[in-house]
Amino acid sequence: MNLKFENKGETMVCRIDGDVDINTSPSIKKLFDKALAKKAAKMVVNLQGVNYVDSSGLATLVEILKNMRQYGGKLKLSNLSPKIKSLFDITKLDKLFEIASDEEEAIASFI
Amino acid sequence: MMEKDVVIKAENVTKRFGERVILNGISLEVCRGETFVIMGGSGCGKSTLLRHLIGALPPDSGKVYLLGKDLASLNEDEMDRVKKKIGMCFQSAALFDSMTVGENVSLPLREHTRLETHVIETVVKMKLELVGLRGFEGLMPSQLSGGMRKRVGLARAIAMDPEIMFYDEPTAGLDPIVAGVIDKLILDLSKKLSITSVVVTHDMKSVFSIADRVAMLYEGKALAVGAPDEIKKSENPMVRQFISGSPDGPIRFFQQKDDYLEHLMK
Repeated sequence: MNLKFENKGETMVCRIDGDVDINTSPSIKKLFDKALAKKAAKMVVNLQGVNYVDSSGLATLVEILKNMRQYGGKLKLSNLSPKIKSLFDITKLDKLFEIASDEEEAIASFI
Repeated sequence: MMEKDVVIKAENVTKRFGERVILNGISLEVCRGETFVIMGGSGCGKSTLLRHLIGALPPDSGKVYLLGKDLASLNEDEMDRVKKKIGMCFQSAALFDSMTVGENVSLPLREHTRLETHVIETVVKMKLELVGLRGFEGLMPSQLSGGMRKRVGLARAIAMDPEIMFYDEPTAGLDPIVAGVIDKLILDLSKKLSITSVVVTHDMKSVFSIADRVAMLYEGKALAVGAPDEIKKSENPMVRQFISGSPDGPIRFFQQKDDYLEHLMK
């Protein structure tokens, strides 16, 4: 699993490559905690390079969203594969997260 | 033709307990994503077969492959890795009575992962939502009905996102409505989460509502394996007797070794 943070204007973009699962979720959570220490206001998590997300991965994304909402930050997800999108639908998380089809659309949708 | 993705394979599995032959050369295959039901009367060896499929019992002869691995060839660490990919839902629910519902469901995550407590709590909420029990985290098992306990057991079994779920008599002892709820849950989890399911049961209603394929066991042998419709149409008198639930037929209900009166006088 590889994770990169990049600032695009006022938005922090995170691109994840690899699985977001029970093995990688703990370190993903730690990297996000570090990256969000300065309380970024806008964040896009690009999941283009992610083939598999398990429940712990979903829960980790929920925790990141919760943390950001606590200080008034906004989080959007982008580039979900159909398989991962259906996982969000089954677990009803599609109603919790704002999901954009690609990174540019996600960034542009922050007002 | 697409090759079958076989995730469980039993090859000529034989098991004796003392002089009794429990499994007598059973061979079967379960493919990824299917719901495979093992049915048969009490004592026919179906729970023993299940224990072999999950690696809890070694066969006397024959082989069991789980997710492509020959279980007999695995060392302890390799076996642990395979076991993390399977979930087991026990007949009794097997909850820890001294732990809350939430603690029961989170147990495998606390034992086997490095996830933070908050993340684990979120996973528990997601799993309890799937079995219709979100909000019951703080209750003790003694405060739940039998059907609810089974659902908590199911939530715990899927806590680690297993590739294969094994169910031992999931509807035993439940009223028909709750049994129907459990069956629907098994189906939902199989279809929504693409989990392969192996269900041991003698509940005929369950068999025909959830199975993609069925194996009927009798005296340690697989009498018939096929789709539920094929099993329903089977000409085999033993299969027919089991489906109809008739006390009369080739399946002997009593297993006497010698004459009753002679036995009394011994």
